[in-house]
Amino acid sequence: MAIRQIRELGDEILTKKCKPIKEITPRIVELAEDMIETMYEFQGVGLAAPQVGILKRMVVIDVGDGPMVLINPEILETSGEQTGEEGCLSYPGKAGVVTRPNYVKAKAYDLDMQEYIIEGEELLARCVCHELDHLDGHMYVELAGNTIHDVVYGEEE
Amino acid sequence: MTNPVNTREVILDCLLAVTKEQAFLHIVMRDVLSKYAYLDKRDRSFISRVCHGTLERMPEVDGIINQFSKVPVRKMKPVIRLILRSALYQMLYMDSVPNSAAVNEAVKLATKKGFFGLKGFVNGVLRNIDRNLDKITYPERADFEEYMEKRYSILPWMTQLWRTSMSDEKIEEIGKAFLTEGPTCVRVMVDRLDTATLKKRLEQQNITVSEHEKRPDVLYISGYDSLGAIPEFVEGLFYVQDTSSMEVATVIDPQAGEVGMDVCSAPGGKAIHAAMLMKEKENCVGNGNYGIVMARDISPKKVALIEENIARTGMDNIVVSVQDAMELDVSMVEKADFVIADLPCSGLGVLRKKPDIKYRTSLANVKELALLQQEMLRVVCQYVKPGGRLLYSTCTINRLENEDNVETFLKEHKEFTKKVQQQLLPKDGKQDGFFYCLLEKGAE
Repeated sequence: MAIRQIRELGDEILTKKCKPIKEITPRIVELAEDMIETMYEFQGVGLAAPQVGILKRMVVIDVGDGPMVLINPEILETSGEQTGEEGCLSYPGKAGVVTRPNYVKAKAYDLDMQEYIIEGEELLARCVCHELDHLDGHMYVELAGNTIHDVVYGEEE
Repeated sequence: MTNPVNTREVILDCLLAVTKEQAFLHIVMRDVLSKYAYLDKRDRSFISRVCHGTLERMPEVDGIINQFSKVPVRKMKPVIRLILRSALYQMLYMDSVPNSAAVNEAVKLATKKGFFGLKGFVNGVLRNIDRNLDKITYPERADFEEYMEKRYSILPWMTQLWRTSMSDEKIEEIGKAFLTEGPTCVRVMVDRLDTATLKKRLEQQNITVSEHEKRPDVLYISGYDSLGAIPEFVEGLFYVQDTSSMEVATVIDPQAGEVGMDVCSAPGGKAIHAAMLMKEKENCVGNGNYGIVMARDISPKKVALIEENIARTGMDNIVVSVQDAMELDVSMVEKADFVIADLPCSGLGVLRKKPDIKYRTSLANVKELALLQQEMLRVVCQYVKPGGRLLYSTCTINRLENEDNVETFLKEHKEFTKKVQQQLLPKDGKQDGFFYCLLEKGAE
């Protein structure tokens, strides 16, 4: 496993649409593992493949309930609304206010290419939307308007 | 996506800093709120309300947890203990938080902090209390110390101390008053703006403003975001000060042309008030002789705080310097018309604003402080001119530091006589506990 370099806002790769994953190869497994490690290293709660320079439809998420790998994810259903602070590992030191659905239901494949359903509210819903946007070349800054501001991260013990 | 700020985790860190590292709550809050200044007002007031409330009602909350938990609070791990305390505070005293949310967040936070194995314990204790809220019992009044501790979060040593000079009814009133939330009390810098105009200007900013029944220079404000965001505060048109502290300058009644000293001055409120009154008096005479107040404190840091407040309020008849009140400044002996000795104290009168004070003080500590105050009075009383005034004050309710100290002082210093003495008690969230005594030095 390795920590990969995170691409930052301004890098063209973050604006591109990602390609679906057709089969699970050892390289895909390695990418998933690296992405999880990279996400933890930078204290993120989610990371999408294009953020480490790979244009494939895969994201990893851990909002506190353990890591999840989402391959070729698709949102099936959303409802409600939440407005709150959002930040991105590809735009360090900044955050902005974004309105997202409060509930999200999505389907995705795991590393055994088994389809599964993921649903969640609040942070998980926000995170799924945020990461899936990356796969289509979008970032939260497009939604945050003029609310982008500097943030200070708490030091982790 | 980055990890968003988890307000409950921030709260836990603050509580740990105060209870484990002995940090001062008001300093921890100031630092945290400026660090997270970008969070919205709701999140920031949630953080400060829960931190303040949890510390304020800790003895009560602990008593309730102990009723329902097999493991007593004192045997729990510090992190778990604080998670339970702040969650229970939210359940009991914050209508905006559904109990289920308080429980869920507490469980999540315990997991996040690495106590996966104690998830069930946190969940169990809190759910048990939630189901049995109507079965919470408080001690009978017959056991008064225990009653004050579990009902009003007044520690037993404090009740013991107060019982030497007050009735149980009075003590219960004090306990009640400390738990009453109140607006922020401000003194209008009437030399620059009249009270009615300031009131109007604040109300235009959607701040709730009310007047004081007796003092025309006082307003109570609430519902503002932060003081720093009110232009009138930044411009120094008002000063945050409790009415009890305002009594000091009022009682001293400084005259134009006098020389005054404030020996433990930081943050400078009383000195600024006195200086302003002198300027007002000068306006009546008009000879340009305001007189001067010498504001002093022990460290450059404290002195910087005074300077900051002077700069904001624009008082130009104050001189500031670093001077330890324990050390005699020979050059000032018998030079001052009045000396303000608002000395370091146990602070038992300001528990409403600084609830953490009670955990860092003890009876032994209080006795030591009383001796320190005596020492300081011996030094600073030498600055008073014959015929001049000495005002001794503390923000505590404690006979040893207050009335007894005055008696000791008068026995040693026959040249002084007592003019006015007052022990103010906290009142409905609008006044702190405060003591002052005006002493006059005979004219030779």
